[in-house]
Amino acid sequence: MIVDADTIEMNACLWADVCVVGGGAAGIALALALSGQGLRIVLLESGRLRGHAPTQALYAGEVADERLHSPPDKYRTRRMGGSTAIWGGRCVPFDPFDFDARSQVPDSGWPLSLADLLPFYPQANALAEAGRFSYDAEQALGPNAPPMIRGFASALVTTSSLERFSCPTDFGRRYARRLQLAGDLKVLLGANCTAVRLAAGALAVDEMEVRTLAGRQFRVAVRAAVIATGGLETARLLLASRDVAPAGIGNEHDVVGRYYMCHIAGNVGNLTFSGATRDVRHGYEITPEGVYCRRRLAVAGSEQQRRGLANAVARLHFPRITDPAHRNGVLSGLFLARRLISYEYGKRLNDGTPTTAMLYARHLLNVLADPLDTSAFLAHWVARRTLAQRKFPSVILRNRTNRFSLEVHGDQSPRADSRVTLTGKADALGMPQLRVDWRYSPQDIESIRRTLDLMAQEFERSGTGCLEYDPHTLEEDLLRFGAYGGHHIGTARMGSDPRKSVVDADCRVHSVGNLYVAGSAVFPTSSQANPTLTLIALSLRLGRHLAQRLAPRPLTQVDLKPPAPRPTATVETPKPVVRPPADVAPQPEPQPVAHAEAQP
Amino acid sequence: MKVLVLGGSGYIGSRLCELLAASGWATPVSASSSRQQAGAKGLRVDTTDPASLRLAVQDMDAVVNCVAGSPRAIAEGAKVLGEVCAKAGCERIVHLSSMAVYGRREGPVQERAPVDQSLGWYARAKCEAERHMASFVERGGTAVMLRPGCVWGPGSQLWVGRIGRCLHARRLGDLGEAGDGWSNLVHVDDVCNAICAALRLPQPAGQVRAYNLAAPDSPRWNDYFVDLALAIGATPVRRISPLQLRVDAWVGAPALKLAQSALARAGRKAAALPDPLPPGLLGLWQRHLRLESEKARSELGVRWTPYAEALQQSAGWYLQAQHHAH
Repeated sequence: MIVDADTIEMNACLWADVCVVGGGAAGIALALALSGQGLRIVLLESGRLRGHAPTQALYAGEVADERLHSPPDKYRTRRMGGSTAIWGGRCVPFDPFDFDARSQVPDSGWPLSLADLLPFYPQANALAEAGRFSYDAEQALGPNAPPMIRGFASALVTTSSLERFSCPTDFGRRYARRLQLAGDLKVLLGANCTAVRLAAGALAVDEMEVRTLAGRQFRVAVRAAVIATGGLETARLLLASRDVAPAGIGNEHDVVGRYYMCHIAGNVGNLTFSGATRDVRHGYEITPEGVYCRRRLAVAGSEQQRRGLANAVARLHFPRITDPAHRNGVLSGLFLARRLISYEYGKRLNDGTPTTAMLYARHLLNVLADPLDTSAFLAHWVARRTLAQRKFPSVILRNRTNRFSLEVHGDQSPRADSRVTLTGKADALGMPQLRVDWRYSPQDIESIRRTLDLMAQEFERSGTGCLEYDPHTLEEDLLRFGAYGGHHIGTARMGSDPRKSVVDADCRVHSVGNLYVAGSAVFPTSSQANPTLTLIALSLRLGRHLAQRLAPRPLTQVDLKPPAPRPTATVETPKPVVRPPADVAPQPEPQPVAHAEAQP
Repeated sequence: MKVLVLGGSGYIGSRLCELLAASGWATPVSASSSRQQAGAKGLRVDTTDPASLRLAVQDMDAVVNCVAGSPRAIAEGAKVLGEVCAKAGCERIVHLSSMAVYGRREGPVQERAPVDQSLGWYARAKCEAERHMASFVERGGTAVMLRPGCVWGPGSQLWVGRIGRCLHARRLGDLGEAGDGWSNLVHVDDVCNAICAALRLPQPAGQVRAYNLAAPDSPRWNDYFVDLALAIGATPVRRISPLQLRVDAWVGAPALKLAQSALARAGRKAAALPDPLPPGLLGLWQRHLRLESEKARSELGVRWTPYAEALQQSAGWYLQAQHHAH
């Protein structure tokens, strides 16, 4: 059920087997996975079903350098569904070697492998409404699918890996009914978790402290708690909960908030193909399930390893929008309409180019000179994006000249000094605000440079095209918009060494027996992939772990088996609820966590 | 055992007669409301006419009531059946009810959940029919009421043929939240096996039992629509907007119904018309009702056909039927 936190009695103590903090992609996926297992689940969501400015303002904070990182209240929405309310919908699984300790990426290596996540990716894909879990072009589109670039064949640079697109699905809206109907699940809206209260000895969570903006305050006593508030807020809550653990929870070794990563991303270079324009597929294909997808360029995994490259992909992209030299009416139209586009999606239209009357005039001229293309684009955009339920993912222009730029998206090396910290300022609930100091390394740029060189070499060798870029401006090109917005990774990183990580392979905080983190905060490295799909898969895996650990009944073999592949996209198996519906009335004696479990 | 199958020419009834005939322990007698449907071997029975039914029930050990149709055929038919059987000493009735008796209820539903007849004429008639079964039992009979979800499998026009045609016409696809309800699909053979088990269930006189019938692995409607579309080649699957669905149901369906009856009056075949998707269907697809059918498994011993297998059979039938039609 979904209820307003202001209906909870002042100073009450609710009781839950699992308390999940945060109702975004991770929290909702986890809550749905835990439902039906005989557990009582409370999901605390700060926001409501729609956006609310005072709630969103709780995200406000500082950034060390505004050119490098967007303000903390951008690219995130504090509401039911979290930032899925504004996400672009790109779904990509991690590559197998992303989980390896790679010498070229310092502090890389996960304590789990792709095989540990594979059983959960199909259901993650289904929740994201991105169709089947199939990311190989031939497998997803059939053997007759057109190649990305006809005539281009390379053992070093692949074009067969896909990205798929969610609707994009707003998890809050899409799954509200499921959450509402789950009798063992209580979603509290307007419920801000302001502290994780540890028991004396700091080995286990006792209670979660909750406040509403209207001034109500209550607690949730838990058997286990999961923080699923995103890569920035997770660190904030851990660091701010310092009554028992003075450095903050899980922060004995000063790791919480460090190793903060986004992605290295930007548009670079000029890629000119030599064949016919119809021989290049730069736009979206549609899979049989009706999902938009697109091929990308990537250096093959073995070759990345051999050459010591970080993981990166490149997509065929149009030229820089703000420069009217592209003479494209659609792009100029976008530039002229940029005031109507949200901060997150309009960022590339505001790249610091000085806006003069002359610039506007030249863009206007482009629009006027290109009326057919501009209106065809507009008609397509309105029909396939504005009015469509499954939205056409991004601006794709007709290929008239065979000239593209490359849109690069790559791994960044984790750095201890790239971090988020608490400031002296507090939000409306008294929580210290965040300061974001995102940093990247010269080797990140160097790796992209060598990746581009390899791609250029392969285009030349195959005679299909010519890639040129200016190595002197590469760093500027990649950092023009700063850290890739919305991907907040690594602040509570996963690892087997408690001195260099915050959570273990089960996403459990090393030093606290019953505290877990869901979301991209736990990723030790960022991969070429966007984080959403993988954080959902990881949350589903955490759901199974918690269900097994807390199950009031022994699980049968069937429960323990990973979901078998089926022709259906979802793998939800109905499980009988063995307890009556959640009743979160105050309980005098919350069950203590077993001591054996509480040992770090 | 001599078994009268009312509605014996229908989708479930005809399959049941085949299975009973092959069972070795039962002799089915198929009965239908019209001469045409009853065929050469079947009886013609008007179930709302006591005299007609009395004749049919003579020497029968049990009656299976698969009657579909108008509210009167369902409700009044069940009443007459109960009275006639009680008088004629035919002690056992297996009555095909429906999950519609649970009405607007959502979430997991077991047989002991109270019924709710607020969902329109069909639910009202089915609830009334169940009450008549209860009064038959009060007069000394035994009855088993089976409440299936959506009965599908090869030959199912409702849940395979119609859905497949709408997928091809791109009137159906992935419905998003509007298709998030549980399909509660159950294979026609599983329903027939449940009926066979119910016929032989050791049960004291004066008892009525109810069983939900739905395969526990039946997916949500969206998943079914996408799976079927892929299996029959109705691709790429479209995401259907709620607006399109509403227009189809509230504007398209009444118009198509009118056209159908006009064609029927003119003596023409209505098969060429698109299938109407009435508003009730939209309600079904978004209702999160999950029939719990564990009782049927444990007490009737039903072994559910796996979803993947049922899907393959159904898609195979659909493709073959399309092939013959062209």
